[in-house]
Amino acid sequence: MNPTLSDYKTQELQGIETLPMSSGDWMIDRRLAALQRFETLGFPDRRSEAWRYTSVEALLEQGFVAPAKAQQRDRDHEIQRHLLELAAVGRLVFIDGQFMAELSVYPSEGVRVTSLRAAMANGDRQVLEAVGSLSGLGDDGFAALNLAGFYDGAVIQIDPDIRLDAPMELLHLSTAGAEGRKLPTRQLILMGRGSKAELIERFVSEDRQSRYFNHQVVEISLAEQASLSHKRIQMESRQAYHLSDLHIALQSKAEYSGVMASMGGCWSRTFITNRFKQPDAHCELDGLYLVDDGQLADFHLDVDHQVPNCSSGETFKGILRGSGRAVFDGLIQVGKGAQKSEAHLHNANLMLSRQAEVDTKPQLMILADDVVCSHGTSVGQLDDQAIFYLRSRGLDEQQARALLCQGFLAEIVEKFEHQALIESLNNHMNFVVSTETESSHESVG
Amino acid sequence: MLAIKNLTASVDGKEILRGVDLQVEPGEVHAIMGPNGSGKSTLAHILAGRDGYTVSSGEVRYLGEDLLQLEVEERAQKGLFLAMQYPVELPGVNNMSFLREAMNAMRKARGEPEIDTLSFMKQVKEKARQVKLDEKLLKRSVNAGFSGGEKKRNEILQMAMLEPKLAILDETDSGLDIDALRTVADGVNRLRSKERGMIVVTHYQRLLDYIHPDKVHVLANGRIVRSGGKDLALQLEARGYGWLLEEAAA
Repeated sequence: MNPTLSDYKTQELQGIETLPMSSGDWMIDRRLAALQRFETLGFPDRRSEAWRYTSVEALLEQGFVAPAKAQQRDRDHEIQRHLLELAAVGRLVFIDGQFMAELSVYPSEGVRVTSLRAAMANGDRQVLEAVGSLSGLGDDGFAALNLAGFYDGAVIQIDPDIRLDAPMELLHLSTAGAEGRKLPTRQLILMGRGSKAELIERFVSEDRQSRYFNHQVVEISLAEQASLSHKRIQMESRQAYHLSDLHIALQSKAEYSGVMASMGGCWSRTFITNRFKQPDAHCELDGLYLVDDGQLADFHLDVDHQVPNCSSGETFKGILRGSGRAVFDGLIQVGKGAQKSEAHLHNANLMLSRQAEVDTKPQLMILADDVVCSHGTSVGQLDDQAIFYLRSRGLDEQQARALLCQGFLAEIVEKFEHQALIESLNNHMNFVVSTETESSHESVG
Repeated sequence: MLAIKNLTASVDGKEILRGVDLQVEPGEVHAIMGPNGSGKSTLAHILAGRDGYTVSSGEVRYLGEDLLQLEVEERAQKGLFLAMQYPVELPGVNNMSFLREAMNAMRKARGEPEIDTLSFMKQVKEKARQVKLDEKLLKRSVNAGFSGGEKKRNEILQMAMLEPKLAILDETDSGLDIDALRTVADGVNRLRSKERGMIVVTHYQRLLDYIHPDKVHVLANGRIVRSGGKDLALQLEARGYGWLLEEAAA
C-alpha cells in the first residue's frame, strides 16, 4: 500500500529532527510551514493540467524513505572514473545528495560556495533565508515537501563583474547507498550584476540498476547584465526517479541559456519556470530526451513575459524507442505590457517504434499586440529516402539509422559545446545497438 | 561488367520498363537519353536498389553476380554508385563525417583498415577543390540548404572519393547553369578510366558536349529503341525524339 500523507508527514518530521539545528527555531518553523503546505496540497494527480500526462503513482508506490544520516566517506578514488576531461575552474561534488567538501574545489576569488548543510550547522540565516525565495512552496506538493525535507545542497554566489572563463561543474553522483531513498536537495545560484559563468550539472549513477528518487529544486537569479550558460545532463540509473524544478529570474539585460538532456531514469520530469523581472533580458531553453522501454521523460516549461523587450527561445527534440514515453508541455505567456517581446517554441519528436508515445503541447498565450512569436511541433519517423541515400553510399541500415538519429539531435547536442560532454552524450545514446533491437521490433509488428 | 537482359519492371502496377537490354564493359561510357517518362530514372533506381519497383522479368548481372539479389549497401560496397537527380538533404549529418563513414564502410567490406585522418583530409580537400565545392560546405550538414549546383557537385565529390567501378549519373545535368555543368562534366571526365564503366542518364544532349560517350541509347516507352555512337545524340539534338518514337511505334 502507498504511504498516506500523514505517513509522509511523520517521516518528514523524523527527518527534520536529524538535521543540524543551529539555525534555530526559525528554520524549523519554515520547514513545518512547508510541511503543512504539503499536507494541504497533497500529491498531484492527473486532474491537474500540469500532471495530466504523467502519473506519480509509480513513484509513490516505491515508498522512498528519507536519506540515511550523513556519513564520512573517502571516495576519491571512485569519483575519478565519473569525471570528464573538462577544463573547469571548479567542481562541486555531491554523493547521494550530500555535498562533499573535501572533493570539491572552486575559485576563491569572486565566487562563494556554501553548502546548505554547513549553513544549517552554522546558523547562517542570511544564506538560508534566500532558499525558497524564487521557488516559493509551489502548487503541486513536491516543492513544499522538498523545502520541508531538503538536507543539503549548495548556494553559489558570483560577485558582480566576476567573469569566469571556464565552466564550474556540479557532479551529482548516486551510489548503491542511495537505494530505496529519496534525495531532496536544493541549489541556489545568485549571480551579481555583470557577472558571467557557465555551470555544468551532471547526474550519474555508480550502479546502473539502483533505485532512488533524486529531487532537485534549483533557483537561479541573474542580476542586471549577468549571463549564465547552464548545461544539465541527466544520465541516472534506469531504475531511478528524477524530479527537477528550476526557477529562473532575470533582471534587465540578463542572459540565461540552458540546455538539458534527459536520458536516464525510469521516470524523469523537469519543470522550468522563467520570469523576466525587467526588460531587455533573454532566456534560451533547449533540450533533448531519449527514452526506451520503461522510461518516461517529461519537460514542462513556463516562460512568462510580463515586461517589454525580452526574448525567449525553446527548442526541444526527442527520440523515442521501444515503449518509451515522453511529455512536452511548453507554455509561453506574453502579457499586455510585454510589447516587443520575441518568443519561439519548438518541439520535434522522432518515433522509432509503434509502441512509443509522446504527448506534446506547445502553447502561446499572447495578450500584447506588437510581438514576434512562433510555435510548432512535429512527430515523425526516419525518412526512407534518407535511409536509401545513406545505404546507397555503402552504410548498412543500422549505421544509416544511427547517423540519422544523431543528425536529428545534433543541433541540441552541439549546444553542450565541450567535446567531453558531446562524446559522453553520443556514447550514452548508442544508437547503433538500439536500432538493432528496433528492427527486430518492427519485424514482429 | 553490367549485363541487363529483357528487364521488365512496374511501379504500383504500372509497367515502366518493358524489356530493356543493355551491356556495359569496363572503360565504356554509355549515355541513356529519352523523353520524360520514358523510364530512364526508373532504370537507374532499380540498378541502385531503391524499393518501390517490381521487377517482373529479366535479369541484371553485375560483375558476375545477380545484382537484383543484393542489398542496396552491398551494391554500393561492390562499387556501384548512383549520382542522384535529387540528392537528399540530411540535416544534422556532417558532410565530412558522412563521407568518411561511407569510405570506411566500403573499406570494411573489402577487408581494408579504416582510412587515416590525415590522408582522408588531404583527399577530400583536393577533390572538393577539383569539383569547385566550397570547403565550407564540407563542414555543413549533407546537402542541407545547398543550391542545386552545390548538391550536384557534392554528388560528384562523393563519387570521386568512393571511386566506384560502375557509376550511374541520373540527370546530373538537370538544373545546372553552364559553368556548373562544365565543372560537373570535368569531374566525371577525370574519373574516366579503363577499369570504370559509366552510365550517363540525361534528357538533353548538352551534357554530352562535355562528356563524350562511347555509346548512346534512346529509351522510349520502357524500351531501348535505338543505340548508336555519339552521332545519335547530335541527331536527337537536331530532330528531337518524335521521329524515333514514330519509328518505334511503326
